[in-house]
Amino acid sequence: MAWEYSEKTKQLFLDAISAKPGTHLGEIEDPDGLGEHGSIVCGDAMRFAFRVKRAADPHDDRIVEARYLTFGCTSAIASSEALCTIIEERNLTPIEALAITNQDIVDFLGGLPEQKIHCSVMGAEALESSVIDWAKRRGVPFEDLGPRIEAAAHEEGRIVCVCFNLTEPYLRKKIQEMNLRTVEEVRDALKAGGACGSCQFKAGGIQDLLDELWGKDETGIAARAGAAEKSPYQLYKEIEQTILQVIRPMLQRDRGDLEIIEIKDKKVYCRLKGACATCAGAGVTLKDGIERVLRDRVDPEIVVIDV
Amino acid sequence: MSDRVIYLDNNATTPVCPEVVEAMLPYLREYFYNPSSAYEQSKLTRAAVEQSRATIARLLNASQPTEVIFTGSASESNTTALRGTLAANPDRRHVITTAVEHPSVMEVCKDFQRNGYEVTFLPVSRSGQLEFKDLIHALRPDTALVTIMHVNNETGVVFPVEKLAKIVKLTDPRVIFHTDATQSVGKLPIDLSGVFLHVDLLSFSGHKLHAPKGIGVLYMRKGTRCRPLLIGGHQENGRRAGTENVPYIVGLGKACELAAADFRNTYSEKKTLRNRLEAFILENIPYCYLNGRETGRLPTTTSVSFECVEGESVLYALGEHGICASTGSACSSGSLAPSHVLQAMHIPLTAAHGTLRFSYGRFTTEADIDALIAVLPGIIARLRTMSPYWDTTANRPNDSTIALG
Repeated sequence: MAWEYSEKTKQLFLDAISAKPGTHLGEIEDPDGLGEHGSIVCGDAMRFAFRVKRAADPHDDRIVEARYLTFGCTSAIASSEALCTIIEERNLTPIEALAITNQDIVDFLGGLPEQKIHCSVMGAEALESSVIDWAKRRGVPFEDLGPRIEAAAHEEGRIVCVCFNLTEPYLRKKIQEMNLRTVEEVRDALKAGGACGSCQFKAGGIQDLLDELWGKDETGIAARAGAAEKSPYQLYKEIEQTILQVIRPMLQRDRGDLEIIEIKDKKVYCRLKGACATCAGAGVTLKDGIERVLRDRVDPEIVVIDV
Repeated sequence: MSDRVIYLDNNATTPVCPEVVEAMLPYLREYFYNPSSAYEQSKLTRAAVEQSRATIARLLNASQPTEVIFTGSASESNTTALRGTLAANPDRRHVITTAVEHPSVMEVCKDFQRNGYEVTFLPVSRSGQLEFKDLIHALRPDTALVTIMHVNNETGVVFPVEKLAKIVKLTDPRVIFHTDATQSVGKLPIDLSGVFLHVDLLSFSGHKLHAPKGIGVLYMRKGTRCRPLLIGGHQENGRRAGTENVPYIVGLGKACELAAADFRNTYSEKKTLRNRLEAFILENIPYCYLNGRETGRLPTTTSVSFECVEGESVLYALGEHGICASTGSACSSGSLAPSHVLQAMHIPLTAAHGTLRFSYGRFTTEADIDALIAVLPGIIARLRTMSPYWDTTANRPNDSTIALG
């Protein structure tokens, strides 16, 4: 995992974290375009905003200021700086800015390690959504943004989670990507259904999406028919009762005690406490005392294990 | 970049002790003889290997030196233990391990799954600890092997291996119990003739305790059914083929001798350093958690998760001050997910990505901690102001982050 960042990447990161003048960290009050991409869950996220010099025809607006807030690794922060610098240097209209690709960011940085390319993609995606936002604010038709962006802008779909404004295509995509299996997992990972909760189980809600994507979980519904013989549960109860009513009082008389850790099959896992724990005769107490009582009273095959 | 190196990554590897280097040098310069040769000169190297074996057996309180097998690394020891056990017990098809093992155990277990074995991965709590109950329930009549690490490399959490082994062996003596003790040998007492009596196999490597890289040990209790991984040589009683790496074996022996001599001192000394750092962090940096604090931990590791920052950028900024540490998040290893250990502990994702590990060794000093303390709060604060998830005015995560966490 040695850092293989270019000098430019390192410089932009260090400038940003030392708040060097000319860096682009921050927010714009009342921006003309605002876009976000990524999420804290994924490990990086960017909020990108720009201000334009307005023209009579919004198509002639020119971006004059770009700012970002970024949560992410060294290269995510450097990519954010790179994006803002590229945009401010080139004096672009928002539609022209859409031509900036993640490759432009990579080139500006003098290359990025392969596993860090996603950082540059994040920049390009945040830019895209900020331009869509600008188009909405300025009344520019989406078709003017080009066919790719137009499709993205319209890809809104039915809203499933009203509280967090999350759409069906988005949830479908994320559920599959993140391999989410339960409404709890969806809530924890995507927030969906995490506020009022009404969308979790209603028709067309999160559970329905999960069932559709993964199939209904049949296991666990068909309960097993009860067994006829003495069940492990009955055995468990008998052992537990004997320990509580016979053995513990016996030990407590000698200022000792015993804690049940678990009972499985005919094995009793326990911990000797109090005077018993430090007693040199603990092994004898265990075998000749506790184990014998349980064998006599409950089952001759019981084994006691002191942990 | 700072010229002074402040090395706080001793769980990754440690610097070699000067005494260890000195002990090794004669076997690099002069005594090159193959310990298996017949002539008089090779007696020297043979004796050196056996002396080192005896030192290590003493450190672990093994009943006899032949139970100590030299390997090339802890990863090799782990692989040998796991594969060798299953190969020697073909009628049993079930393995139990934990969700937080080192990859050299985890990946071998996943490979078992691909080859038709069933593997149970025991979960851990929010503090990174195991429950006895889960192990008890996981044991089956066809369980061949239980492999549970002694100390977790990311969090320093200590598993009660001596008790877990006892549960296993008293439930079914035919189950083999292995522990990866890479992070604990030389730091915690291990008594294989005493409380660790039920442990059959134990792995560790030299470079975590100030010996060089490239030397490991597999302790194998006498009578344990386990096949060798490397065959084709009679070395190590036929349990690991390959000419003995004499200088490194000598180095490891010296390192174990040094560890045995002063590990109690080191232990309390590092605890003071750690406590000071951790108290400082909690007092001066809001919204962070110390992982594993609620349970038993080795005092040589601090794992801390900071809300709303990404670990790799913190690490890089620390690097500018000459400070070497590591992350538990994975941006640094190329994947976007936080490490499997943090995931198994259910650390909230808002903080898991911002997890750092500081680990201390014999040469860690008060001055190292001072250097870290001087810069860490500023770096975290600055990166938080840069984060869209941080409310800079209120100095806390913003509302959307809280909902997410």
